[in-house]
Amino acid sequence: MWRVFSASTTGKRNLDEGAGGQDASHWIVTGDRIVAVVCDGAGSVREGRAGSDFMTRALAEELERSLQQHALAAVIAVDPGSGLESTIRGAVETVRARLADLADARGLALHEFSCTLVGCVASPAGGCFFHIGDGFAIQQTPAGDSVLSQPENGEYADETYFVTDENWQTHLRLTTLPACERGAVIGLMSDGTAPFAVNRARTGFFRPFIDPIAAFLRADSAPNGNEALRNLLESPRACEISADDKTLLLAFVC
Amino acid sequence: MNTVIPDVALIDNSDERAPLVLVLDCSGSMQEESKIQLLNDGLKTLAADLRADPIAARCGRVLVISFGGDANVEIMGEWTDAMDFTPPELLAGGLTPLGAAMRCALDEVESQKSEMRAAGVSYKRPIVMLLSDGEPTDDWRQIAADCKSAETAHKVNIMAIGIGDKANKETLAQFSNKGALSLNGLKFKELFIWLSRSIRAVSRAPAGGKVQLNPVDSWAQLST
Repeated sequence: MWRVFSASTTGKRNLDEGAGGQDASHWIVTGDRIVAVVCDGAGSVREGRAGSDFMTRALAEELERSLQQHALAAVIAVDPGSGLESTIRGAVETVRARLADLADARGLALHEFSCTLVGCVASPAGGCFFHIGDGFAIQQTPAGDSVLSQPENGEYADETYFVTDENWQTHLRLTTLPACERGAVIGLMSDGTAPFAVNRARTGFFRPFIDPIAAFLRADSAPNGNEALRNLLESPRACEISADDKTLLLAFVC
Repeated sequence: MNTVIPDVALIDNSDERAPLVLVLDCSGSMQEESKIQLLNDGLKTLAADLRADPIAARCGRVLVISFGGDANVEIMGEWTDAMDFTPPELLAGGLTPLGAAMRCALDEVESQKSEMRAAGVSYKRPIVMLLSDGEPTDDWRQIAADCKSAETAHKVNIMAIGIGDKANKETLAQFSNKGALSLNGLKFKELFIWLSRSIRAVSRAPAGGKVQLNPVDSWAQLST
């Protein structure tokens, strides 16, 4: 039931400095359930890209494994203490500990792998966003209503929270999603994409942005879809607006 | 393959601002070795480098405070978007009221932050760059302590930079928890290009964490 497209592009700043992009994304569709994760590695640390690569892949896999183990096939709500909330917290904790081991084996501190985290678990009955730091997650229903997970920065726009922070539990935010009906779309994005994809009121997608994309991707084949998304993120207009790395993952309910 | 999705409109909500206060020594000693002229040239380089980058031109917010003359601290114009920043022509002469200038800078940073918050504009941690070739002629100790406190409270990122051999680096170091740096020779141009690149940076750092500077080897004297 899910058609998923994703692209990550390297921003002009990193290109100018000869650095690679710090964003990564990964998703797993199992039956009618999707687990998707986008991470943005911190530019201020040595291994931000390695952190985001590891976290996206390992967390999606760990979450999927946990959901199967706990038979949480139909995810509905994330009430505190519910199975879903504890599953997500547990998966993040497990993967974060593995990343700490990886860092340790290389003689590095965990914070050298700092990355933000924005992800979703969703099935027809509903689901939730999980989010640490900046970036956006949006679920848009067929009627055009939206549920968002907003970025969390500190006072300053160039500071945020990372899954690698000591107090990550405090900054892990969960948002319950309503039923994912046919025609709905879920978008996960890094902070480089949000300035041109989210509307000015920050209440949902900028509709003249998402509507043509949705029309195109729903009709197109997957390989071209990813490339089309990449071309959009690399377009001169997008690069005029943001010099940062850009990731957009879109999951359509078909 | 060049697949393009037709008719996609992109909004531009990039409202992020990067405030920068330049606190510049215009005392009499800045006339020596054409330092004031090199400083003026450096400011022009900063303005041009910021303007050359569309995003830096839009996000930079610049204020110049000069100190010198008859114990004068002068705010040279108003806060200006980098795209409209025209450097003032600085003249050297008189005393070095460095403490009063830094007090003025801290006050300006806080009032600018209030304005941006009220306008719903997001902003980076403000940078105050202090450049001096001498030592203060006013009462500077309390304000220096206040500068350090402001840094500790993550209110501002202060860079104290000495110009030439006569700069009292020990005193300048009292204005920042990072200590003071020395300009290598009179590399004002390299310094201001570095500053421009720092303002352009898009990298994210931990909230409430210490400021991490880009490498300063293009302009700083690394051993004294």
